Amino acid sequence: MSERARDAAARLRAGDTAALARAIRWLEDGDALGASVLREVAGAPERAWRIGVTGPAGAGKSTLVDALITELRRRGQRVGVLAVDPSSPFSGGALLGDRLRMQRHTLDPGVFIRSMATRGRMGGLASATHGAAILVDAAGFDVVLIETVGVGQDELDVAELAHTTVVVSVPGLGDEVQALKAGLFEVADVHALNKADLPGADSAERNLRALLDLETQRREGEPRWAPPLVRTVAARGDGVPALLDACDAHRVHLAASGEGERRAATRAEQLFYALLREQAPQRLLARATDLDRTIAALRAGEIDAFAAAEAVLAGGGLPAL
Amino acid sequence: MSQPPRDRDDLRAHQERWERETRGPHVAAHGERLAEFRTQAMRWPVKPLYTPQDLDETGFDYLRDAGFPGEYPFTRGTSPDGYRTELWRMLQVTGFGTGEDWARRGRYMLEQGLNGLIIEYDLPTTNGLDSDHPLAAGEVCRAGTAIDTLADMEAALDLPFEKLQHLTSVCNGPQPVNLAMILAALEKRGVDPDSFTLQMPNAILIEYTCVGRYIYPPAHGLRVATDVIEYVIRNHPRWVPIAVVSAQLYAARANPVQELAFGFSIAMQYLDAVLARGFAIDEVAPYFSFITGVDMDFFEAVAKLRAYRKIWAKLMRDRYGATKPESLRLRLMASPGTMSLTLQQPLNNIARLGIQMLACALGGGAQTMTSPLHDEAHALPSEEAIAVGAAVQNIVAHETGVADVVDPLGGSYYLEVMTRKIEDAVFAEIEKIDTQGGALRAIETGYFQRALAQEQYDRHRDLESGRRKLVGVNQGAVSGEKRSIELFELDADAERRQIERLQRVRAERDGSAVTRALARVREAAAGTENLVPPILEAVKAYATHGEICEALRDVFGSHHPDSLTTGI
Amino acid sequence: MAKRIRVLLAKLGLDSHTIGVTVIAKALRDAGMEVIYSGLKQTPEMVVRTAIQEDVDVVGLSSLSAAHMSHFSRVLELLRAEGASDKLVLGGGVIPERDAEKLRAMGVAAVFTMGATTTEIIEFIERWWTQREAQ
Ligand SMILES: Nc1nc2c(ncn2[C@@H]2O[C@H](COP(=O)(O)OP(=O)(O)OP(=O)(O)O)[C@@H](O)[C@H]2O)c(=O)[nH]1
Ligand SMILES: [Mg+2]
Repeated sequence: MSERARDAAARLRAGDTAALARAIRWLEDGDALGASVLREVAGAPERAWRIGVTGPAGAGKSTLVDALITELRRRGQRVGVLAVDPSSPFSGGALLGDRLRMQRHTLDPGVFIRSMATRGRMGGLASATHGAAILVDAAGFDVVLIETVGVGQDELDVAELAHTTVVVSVPGLGDEVQALKAGLFEVADVHALNKADLPGADSAERNLRALLDLETQRREGEPRWAPPLVRTVAARGDGVPALLDACDAHRVHLAASGEGERRAATRAEQLFYALLREQAPQRLLARATDLDRTIAALRAGEIDAFAAAEAVLAGGGLPAL
Repeated sequence: MSQPPRDRDDLRAHQERWERETRGPHVAAHGERLAEFRTQAMRWPVKPLYTPQDLDETGFDYLRDAGFPGEYPFTRGTSPDGYRTELWRMLQVTGFGTGEDWARRGRYMLEQGLNGLIIEYDLPTTNGLDSDHPLAAGEVCRAGTAIDTLADMEAALDLPFEKLQHLTSVCNGPQPVNLAMILAALEKRGVDPDSFTLQMPNAILIEYTCVGRYIYPPAHGLRVATDVIEYVIRNHPRWVPIAVVSAQLYAARANPVQELAFGFSIAMQYLDAVLARGFAIDEVAPYFSFITGVDMDFFEAVAKLRAYRKIWAKLMRDRYGATKPESLRLRLMASPGTMSLTLQQPLNNIARLGIQMLACALGGGAQTMTSPLHDEAHALPSEEAIAVGAAVQNIVAHETGVADVVDPLGGSYYLEVMTRKIEDAVFAEIEKIDTQGGALRAIETGYFQRALAQEQYDRHRDLESGRRKLVGVNQGAVSGEKRSIELFELDADAERRQIERLQRVRAERDGSAVTRALARVREAAAGTENLVPPILEAVKAYATHGEICEALRDVFGSHHPDSLTTGI
Repeated sequence: MAKRIRVLLAKLGLDSHTIGVTVIAKALRDAGMEVIYSGLKQTPEMVVRTAIQEDVDVVGLSSLSAAHMSHFSRVLELLRAEGASDKLVLGGGVIPERDAEKLRAMGVAAVFTMGATTTEIIEFIERWWTQREAQ
């Protein structure tokens, strides 16, 4: 097992995209090999810049990612993309449509695109996205673009994963500016006002700027970063170099202000908890002795649920009757 | 001695009594075949019986809703005398091989008594590529005829024009190039362009919604199509430069309401674009023609054809203020739908064709009909299938008597209710599309595409669940039947010959003239002038079909649909 | 975390009939699979790169035009060259029986022609998957 993981890690570090894709698959499927590969590559310093792209459904996130790939390639960067789409709550299946927007980059060896389904995870990403980003980094990509599902106000996981979070909004959302105000606004490092070719772009920009002023006042006292607003027409690539410049400026700010380190520390802690939240139940159950008998006793009314749970949490099995 | 008409309360009382005393007990005793009865495509509930009461409930008014043949709103037909003056024109689709191959098949079909032809092109041609393009390999001369240069079109138009009344040329994406090729070829052959009617579907907007043979982004597709319409109206006023091929929506599983609403919205998008070029509505509307297909649900099919005419007339009169009768009178070509043909038990398809052809005739809308072929689900058509297809049309026309009375089903309570229902639903859907900003927007946002994709899936599930019956497939299927597909043997050598001729033409032409002509095409594309004249010059200089399309692509870009705009 | 079958549906060449893939994509999703659709006008190279990057288990190739033979065989060839021949390759569309035979001999696991139901396709994939997982 560890032999296979080591081998996979070595191939992946050498830039083998098939190995990278397979390792991400192991993470998605909860195959222990995935965690082993992650441990193999862990410890290496983070190299890749992770840019999260989030925003409401249909805002043009995929189109923007497609345009960002083009611009990043022009700047000589190797790009990995993790594009997350929702799984159907009914069947668990998914139609992963983001890639279709980016398909023209498929034959470029400097680009790796991987679609991921949320598989029941809330928050805008898949459970495996975090690990996948680390693997893409390890495979030698300079930038990892992470596209979330179309989000509402409380699907903000991407901010815990990305170094720079780009929030995409579009003209004509009206009420959704309210939603932005509530959740997305707080996690935005950079704002992209996409579809700036549509009517209403100017008034949308005015609204957003007014909100941004409020937000800047609110953040007074924190290390100063006023999230810039960039108008884009993703479909034509307009504004995309400026958007990337803004992301770069944010990166420089993070390094210069020490905010980057603070965030890294927070991120490590968040990841720690997230991993525990995700893996603890299964591990606990796997470790519990006498689980079948405990359940049987529970169902027969011989013990109560509180006692049974307490016993399993304490690391044991069937509590003494 | 005639009795005074009974009033409707009396009728209602009688019907209630019938239900209570006669039908009720019968159904209670014997049950019914199905738990619920619905129409095939709309899935509308069907009552056991329709009476004048149902007409009242829909608010049916004879003069307003049905009227008289040849008069507004044309529900009962666009011709005052139905098919008594003249039967519908009979056409058949063909296209394969080189220009010479097509001309040979075309001559054969004209000898069979058909008076019109439809030419379709192979995939490289409809996608704006030359036969030697890498993506074209294996496709040249396959699903249609290959046209690379004027030399190919000259070969294709080697036809007895005295027998040909009508030619439809289906080349939606590159239609201006195709038009220019036809014009130049007619000139070289010395044929008077106005001796026959050329119909060009020029139906690029529908390609974006379902068929997929687009080249440029939708807004540019619309501009190119508008150039063709404008050019033809100004120069060849007898031709028909636009056909809204709602049959393709239907083939993509649109239900009748979607087919009409999407089709009319698309028509209005073209219309608005042409009006913006400085025409009056009555100068333009008469040029619009429509091509539809019918399905197996007989009454849905007939009602659709009647509603088709009525809605067009209303739109033209009330929305556009048209007044000329030619503007209000729908030009329609109808055909049985290939999508209802089955691969299993292929001879059954002859029965389906007969029934659908009958629906077309009874729907009375079609000035022209085409007949697909019973082996079309299998293969490119064989000559036998062509002969049978023509015979089916003739049987309906001459043996059944349905062509001798105008709109013989008119007045059927069920049919009139269905006609009204379709009409009302279509107007509601058109309004929905209007509020989204019209057809072009609905295409750009993928509204049409997603609606069609959903309908495709639902319909497929209807078939798999058995709600919808298909004989030979989920009803009376023969287990273990070999579903063989035999592709009509194509001359395997055609692709090689086609490429050879293309390369010979390229070698022999004046290269610098071509370069100049293509530069003119680009210049025109970047501005607003009509593209047809510069393209015609390029064609005459033997610029290739692919080169001209590429010049336009340079300026317009290409269309790459995404998940929203493919509907997947 | 449950394993999920991942499927790539691809349209090769110029053929632009999408009804089949649309219906199958939705049906596979409703059967619990994760489906990636390549879009139109793909080359065999693009299909194979996509299959590898997405690490799909199944590659479904749809063709309603005559060019299926050369396209399909090129996909199989490239998959082998990339060491990715563990993927299940399926064909669908309007494919004459004599071509289907040749395709199966080449390594296409099954060819589903026009009359095939989505149930048949789903069952075929699931059977294959169960067998492979058992190994
Ligand atoms: N007018 C205009 N349309 C755009 C622009 N960017 C994207 N679009 C269109 O918006 C639609 C949605 O784009 P996507 O990129 O798929 O949006 P998304 O945010 O990734 O969507 P989900 O992943 O489904 O949430 C597509 O039809 C795009 O063509 C733009 O700048 N202007
Ligand atoms: Mg997206």
